[in-house]
Amino acid sequence: MNRTLRGGTAALAVATLVLAGCGRDSGGGDEAPEPAAEVAEGAASGSIEVWAMGTEGEKLGDFAQAFVAENPDVDLQVTPVPWDAAHDKIATAIAAGETPDVSMIGTTWMGEFAATGALDPTPDLIDTGSFFEGAWGTTEVGGTNYGVPWYVETRVLYYRTDLVPEPPTDWDGLTAMAQQAKSSGAAYGINLQPGETGAWQTFMPFAWQAGAQLTNEDGTEFTIDSPEFVEALTYYQSFFTDGLAPTDLPQGTLEQDFVAGKIASFVSGPWHVGILEETENADMSKVALAPLPSGAEQASFIGGANLAVFKDAENRDAAWKFVEWLTRPEIQVQWYETVTDLPSVASAWEDPAIADDQYLGVFGEQLDSAVAPPSIPTWEEVASVIDTELERLTKAGADPQEVSTAIQQQASSIGTGL
Amino acid sequence: MTSGTTVRPGAQTPGRAGSYELRKHSPLYRRRTRAAWGFALPFVLLFAAFTVGPVLMSLVMAVTDLRSRDLRNPLAVEFVGLDNFVAVLQDPLFRKAAANTAYFVLVGVPLALAISLAIAVLMNSGITRFRTIFRVGYYMPVVTSIVAVAVVWRFLLHPDLGMVNQALGWVGIEGPNWLESTTWAMPAMIAMAVWRSIGTLIIIFLAGLQGVPTSLHEAAALDGAGAWQRFRHVTLPTMRPTILFGAVITGIGYVQFFEEPFVMTQGGPLNSTLSVAFHTYNQFGFGNYGYAAAMSYVLFVAVVVLALVQFRLLGERDTPRKPRRTLRPVASKEIGR
Amino acid sequence: MSTTTGRASRPPAEPAPPETEPPESRRTKERPIGEARPNLVVYLILGLGLVVVVSPFVWMAFSSVKTEGEIRRVPPTWWPETFTLENFQELFQRLDFPQYFFNSTLVAVVVTVGNLVFCSMLGYVLAKADFAGKNLLFRIVLGTLMIPGMVTLIPLFVLIANMGLVNTYWGLFLPFLAAPFGVFLMRQFFLAIPDELIDAARVDGASESRIFVQIVIPLAKPALATLGIITFLGSWNNFLWPLVVATSEDKYTLPVVLALYSTGQNQINYGLLLAGAVVVVVPVLVVFFFLQRFFVQGVALTGIK
Repeated sequence: MNRTLRGGTAALAVATLVLAGCGRDSGGGDEAPEPAAEVAEGAASGSIEVWAMGTEGEKLGDFAQAFVAENPDVDLQVTPVPWDAAHDKIATAIAAGETPDVSMIGTTWMGEFAATGALDPTPDLIDTGSFFEGAWGTTEVGGTNYGVPWYVETRVLYYRTDLVPEPPTDWDGLTAMAQQAKSSGAAYGINLQPGETGAWQTFMPFAWQAGAQLTNEDGTEFTIDSPEFVEALTYYQSFFTDGLAPTDLPQGTLEQDFVAGKIASFVSGPWHVGILEETENADMSKVALAPLPSGAEQASFIGGANLAVFKDAENRDAAWKFVEWLTRPEIQVQWYETVTDLPSVASAWEDPAIADDQYLGVFGEQLDSAVAPPSIPTWEEVASVIDTELERLTKAGADPQEVSTAIQQQASSIGTGL
Repeated sequence: MTSGTTVRPGAQTPGRAGSYELRKHSPLYRRRTRAAWGFALPFVLLFAAFTVGPVLMSLVMAVTDLRSRDLRNPLAVEFVGLDNFVAVLQDPLFRKAAANTAYFVLVGVPLALAISLAIAVLMNSGITRFRTIFRVGYYMPVVTSIVAVAVVWRFLLHPDLGMVNQALGWVGIEGPNWLESTTWAMPAMIAMAVWRSIGTLIIIFLAGLQGVPTSLHEAAALDGAGAWQRFRHVTLPTMRPTILFGAVITGIGYVQFFEEPFVMTQGGPLNSTLSVAFHTYNQFGFGNYGYAAAMSYVLFVAVVVLALVQFRLLGERDTPRKPRRTLRPVASKEIGR
Repeated sequence: MSTTTGRASRPPAEPAPPETEPPESRRTKERPIGEARPNLVVYLILGLGLVVVVSPFVWMAFSSVKTEGEIRRVPPTWWPETFTLENFQELFQRLDFPQYFFNSTLVAVVVTVGNLVFCSMLGYVLAKADFAGKNLLFRIVLGTLMIPGMVTLIPLFVLIANMGLVNTYWGLFLPFLAAPFGVFLMRQFFLAIPDELIDAARVDGASESRIFVQIVIPLAKPALATLGIITFLGSWNNFLWPLVVATSEDKYTLPVVLALYSTGQNQINYGLLLAGAVVVVVPVLVVFFFLQRFFVQGVALTGIK
């Protein structure tokens, strides 16, 4: 025992010595926006290493042959990365200085990875005005933009036309819709995620609709606890206390219950169209989509993925040229046709391939007012606090004001990380 | 291993038991040490490089405020001493998770050990048919994809349609909504974890049972000992090192339990199935590396304490106070290779 | 070594003479005396338990040939209503199977062989030899076994990167060649091997390495089989490390590639996921089936004297 203890103490002593020479050089916080370097003119050349997740990673290699055809000197290597551990892979790669030239990055990870200093600021090569405002906002961290939005998704209301005659346009309408659906036979008028991972994505649209702001202008302080935020919490909670939304729906039964008419509506993103189509006995003629009803303002959540170039990229200029190519409107339309990713470039939505789709129009409309969560390094952690507190609100009947204070207090102690 | 050899018959000459103790600085001891380290060397080299090294680095991590933003320049962090550890112990979510984990371990580990030992003994009890089917079958939960496991268990535990509640209904009990109940979600997690871990334990115990000499069973049976008595007085003592191994390994696994809540409940409802390992995983995900590392080492201390208790309960005292191994006189000539 | 205490405390005289052992135990190899007839109750209990433990596996196998809609149905179906090989077809169409199968097999076999060799060597001396540093070594090995794996991921990757092993096979298996788990397991099994066998060989003038290879290893077959199964499975299913170390697709292992196809940012494709789970489990079952044969009794007391 003694020997082991002594060994441990020695290791600690060594560690302390090593650390004595360390320390942060600056307090961080209010640094000036980072300037972006120019990208050289002309065709791209050299090898470009790209990481992309899931289907995007699988399909991008072939898709990008058109880019290689335009730039014959380019050797493009796309490595697909499973979503499951993509975050860990990027984090470890940054730690070891083994980053690729370009990587796809989930929008909610932007703050964290940008804060490591591993991402290259977006150069003038990119037409920043072409993106949806909410999408472009996901690339801005501490006053500097890193990377570009690649594709987007947003949340809308899915409803059954036989239970909901007219989609609601405001909060009172949504409540009335749920009540009416319930009285005409549905077990629940609406499904809103009551808690657990990602519940904030369903709730936050209501907070933004009420006019709540999560942080101050420069993202250094949280301003969560506000009358607007409490108002949204109270409204969200009312669906559960009135029995209009389920608190204990077993996982994986939402689609079936919706198809069976037990649940009249729910809030989700574009992928649910495909899931519903695959659900057995689904009668898609009874399924319709509508933008979320508005409160004081119209708002929804915007997600998706961005493309970022790393500072350690060996072929930075070519990497940015490739990224620029992927954000051209016509390429965005082709990419939608390849993997059904919704374009982040607004003008791509005018293409008939997208504009004529019966469901997509609703998403396009919603995207104009969709809001991104603050791109701060600690966002994922703050979001998990919101998830936990929402569960208390919906399942344990916690007081909205108290929940709001609790979120504010925990978020403040986490800090924005900027 | 007190009585492991007690019951072993034959082969032992009287007088050996009282043999002299090997002196620490005898040439023989030194030769033995050299020979033994020769055996140990390949492992030790790899182990030092790829396990001890990273572990020491992670220990350093635990006493700094390393966060994901420091990844590119990990030396530019502040030394914070034990601040992370203090913060961990004050974290209400950690306390909640620790209580959940303790519940899970204290109920789950004995349950898993008892069930798998019982099954292993039954499988080794002289059945001749379907042996391979049983061996392979009971190992299935270990190789079944966690996602498939989750789907089937979620169905089993479904409040209205699930088989568990239907079976309870036959005896007039109205089963709960297992996974959505703060009271019943944890028992469901324990059942699932036990179900998933017995496969490995059974093969470990089966292998251990092969070391129990049949002649002892025979002798005991001739003396009129029943099956239970033979299990208690013949099988259990010989199996002790194996059971200890099973207990420690299961303890380590259960203290770090994570997958079941991860796929089934996400730690809910209302954090009732949040485990320390899950909480730690989240903290790593948030990029709070220093804090998460400190939490890992708090978990480590818990495992060590648990293992010490198990070493004590199951007979092998891993303390320097125990008597040194005695050397048999015959061995002295041949030991040096 | 606490064996001593036990040995010292027991009366030296023991009735059964060793010579009578071999024939007797060979006769009762499969069925110890007193267990007159394989008991119906035993079959019943084991049979019922079997249903409980295999049903999710059966569901996984059946569901891999169902449509996505049927897989998602609540309550789930057991027998596929519509039989389809679509999931497998799509999987094999998208998957460069030979390449990933080769990568997974190479890594798992190297890791398994490494652990069998290195862990049994160290486990043997920890159980059966007396030498300076033994207790400390055992405690360190056991201690690292108890450290949660997550905490060393980044330091380990930085180390591998500094060695220039990112995206190499060496980087994939080197960190796992010598795992504390195996040492602990082998040590515990070696503890149960009678010292007499080893001592007898020493009397006959056998070297330590010879004793190890010719006496100890044959005795430890069930233990080696156990370690082999557990290590192979662990390596075969390892997901995070291969994903982090491999930076190009040609070094990916099966679980990494399967995760790629089945899990999206917001949804899971259950059909592909279950088909992948079936594909990935087959080699594990083959290895298990092969190794479980070594769980036979009798070696310890009949083979060597």
